[in-house]
Amino acid sequence: MHTKSPLLEIKDLSVSFKVFEGDLKVLNGVNLTINEGEKVGLVGETGCGKTTTIKSVLRVLPSPPARITGGEIFYRGRDILKLKKREIPSIRRGEISAIFQDPLTSLNPVFTIGYQLQEIIKHSLRQQGIEEVSKKELKSRAASLLKETGMPDPERILKSYPIQLSGGMRQRVCISEALRVTVKLLLADEPTTNLDVTIQDQILRRLDELVEKRGTSILFITHSLGVVRHLTHRVYIMYAGNIVETAHTKELFSNPLHPYTRGLLKTVPKLTGEGVSEGIQGRIPNYLNPPEGCRFHPRCGDKMEICINKKPPLFNQGENQMVACFLYGR
Amino acid sequence: MNRRSRVGKVRKIKVTVEGGWVFHTLTFSLYNIQEYSMLKYIGLRLIHSLFVLFGLSLLIFFIARVMPGDPARVALGPLATEEQVQKLREEIHLDKPFPVQYYYWLRSLLKGDLGRSLYTKRPIVKDLNEYLPATLELVLCSFIISLVFGQVTGVLAGYFRNSWFDGLSRLVSYIGVATPSFVMAIFLLLVFSHILGFIPAVGRISIILRPPPRVTGFIILDSLIAGQFKVALNGLKHIILPALSLAVAHIAQEGRVTRSSIVDNIQKDYVATHVVHGVPTRSVIFKYLLKPSLIPTVSIMGLDFAFIIANAFLVELVFMWPGFARYAVTVMLNKDLNAIVAVVLIVGATFAIVNLIVDIVVSFLDPRIRLQRRGG
Repeated sequence: MHTKSPLLEIKDLSVSFKVFEGDLKVLNGVNLTINEGEKVGLVGETGCGKTTTIKSVLRVLPSPPARITGGEIFYRGRDILKLKKREIPSIRRGEISAIFQDPLTSLNPVFTIGYQLQEIIKHSLRQQGIEEVSKKELKSRAASLLKETGMPDPERILKSYPIQLSGGMRQRVCISEALRVTVKLLLADEPTTNLDVTIQDQILRRLDELVEKRGTSILFITHSLGVVRHLTHRVYIMYAGNIVETAHTKELFSNPLHPYTRGLLKTVPKLTGEGVSEGIQGRIPNYLNPPEGCRFHPRCGDKMEICINKKPPLFNQGENQMVACFLYGR
Repeated sequence: MNRRSRVGKVRKIKVTVEGGWVFHTLTFSLYNIQEYSMLKYIGLRLIHSLFVLFGLSLLIFFIARVMPGDPARVALGPLATEEQVQKLREEIHLDKPFPVQYYYWLRSLLKGDLGRSLYTKRPIVKDLNEYLPATLELVLCSFIISLVFGQVTGVLAGYFRNSWFDGLSRLVSYIGVATPSFVMAIFLLLVFSHILGFIPAVGRISIILRPPPRVTGFIILDSLIAGQFKVALNGLKHIILPALSLAVAHIAQEGRVTRSSIVDNIQKDYVATHVVHGVPTRSVIFKYLLKPSLIPTVSIMGLDFAFIIANAFLVELVFMWPGFARYAVTVMLNKDLNAIVAVVLIVGATFAIVNLIVDIVVSFLDPRIRLQRRGG
């Protein structure tokens, strides 16, 4: 299905935010790998550091207050965090792309869709060495991109301003911007959270098709387990700035290991009518003073002595599953 | 409903209710807001301004008529006989009811006749013709200075917020806003004319030079048209200090406003989107960030412009600038009714025109204003 060579490797990434009261230690050693052509999901509660992770990859963390305190991010063998400022645009223009959470705010309100889209296309083409592109060519490229995402009447849309479009249409524009050239990796940060359910489904299907066609790897960030189940090969579960478990999607759903993952899966309401489960007790910890040891231990039903003092590493479980919990190793 | 029908597309929908009643309902389609084009917006805005000007003329006419004192008596002086005064009253239609008076007044106004000044004994139009261009030239010049310096410092301070440059510009801005323009004028005069001595102190051009043939009334522009570059340079030297002393407060204020809207907008998601998709930094700052950030600044600049015209008095006095603001204060102190009416009319009209321009510029910058049919 996909080759095994890693495209993106995040190793022990730690990020903290400086605020008045002290340091918010948001990311606490995140490990994540995406292989070429792979579709990966990253699931976690709101505020667990999913967006911070991808912003680190894209080098757009607002700094200050954010600071990368440790770790490496390898993209095809090069450490992104060590790139010089003028080297970053080349990665952004042809290698890694992104779609953000809120389509309503991620388009510039005072420029037409066509203007924004065409400028982005122009710079990406330049990066590939295509210097002279006529306006007509740019326009037809933009229109065909919009068409690919299932947008009706792209010619008219190009002349419109963002406020004239619905949320779903704007997200299609965002997808066109992100997939303007064949990028290697797409980071999709909750691309459908603010849309209504029927539109969500349409857009996700379309996005999946487009990614498949281009052979682009994708990192799906979401808190919806349903999305992950249908669209990804492999899943990472994140809790309070740590990866707590990773597995092939099928295995994860059939055999969840980490107590947090098990709790998370239980919260999904079933159609068979057992009603909604009580969920996981407690709430996500305060990043100013996160719990020592395993960050999940105050909420964990299987808490042991060791969990309070020592941070669990990722233990291999079987061929494709890893879990950060002392229940499965010492 | 009628108001809307001008604006968007109105569709007539037949609604049939039980019993065969048919209603024609007019619905306004939000999805056709695109048709509300720039041209239409400007047209509507123009009509709007005409109404404002009409209201202004009514107001001024009313104020002039309720002010105590008989204009005919004032015009002829205390020695004139009652018959002479009565004759003048009939001549200038003061014996007729207000609406008729207003009609005559408006008619002569539209013909460009504002009456005669009691103080200078000349037609007011002639006075204005002499003094207004001087002030307009001054205000325009200070406007350009504040535009350039205000925007550059604002953008830089906003982009490099909390840096040393931001701190310095903040300090200088506070000083600039807190210093009255005439103090600034005296200070500049002292430093550049008196101590350094390379800039002439007063007037529009040096007395030994002959002013260029009048085309626009702007000395710099006129001498450029006439090809007299030396005179233009001399005029520029004369205008720079008064223009700067008027501009300082506005540079500071506009710079602060631009800075704060840049800081607001730089955190918006769309800026991150542009950056992530590889748009060059220069383009992000000066295009995608500056355009939305200019909107509040433009509104303030418009108000500032009209404001300076009426408030340049002290600076004109310090630099002996033969301008409109000085004329305005002089006629007011002399209770020169006709001239006061003209002055108020000019200031009001300037506000209306500048506001029109501001609205057009803002709607060009911000499609949301055009498209949401606000103010139509």
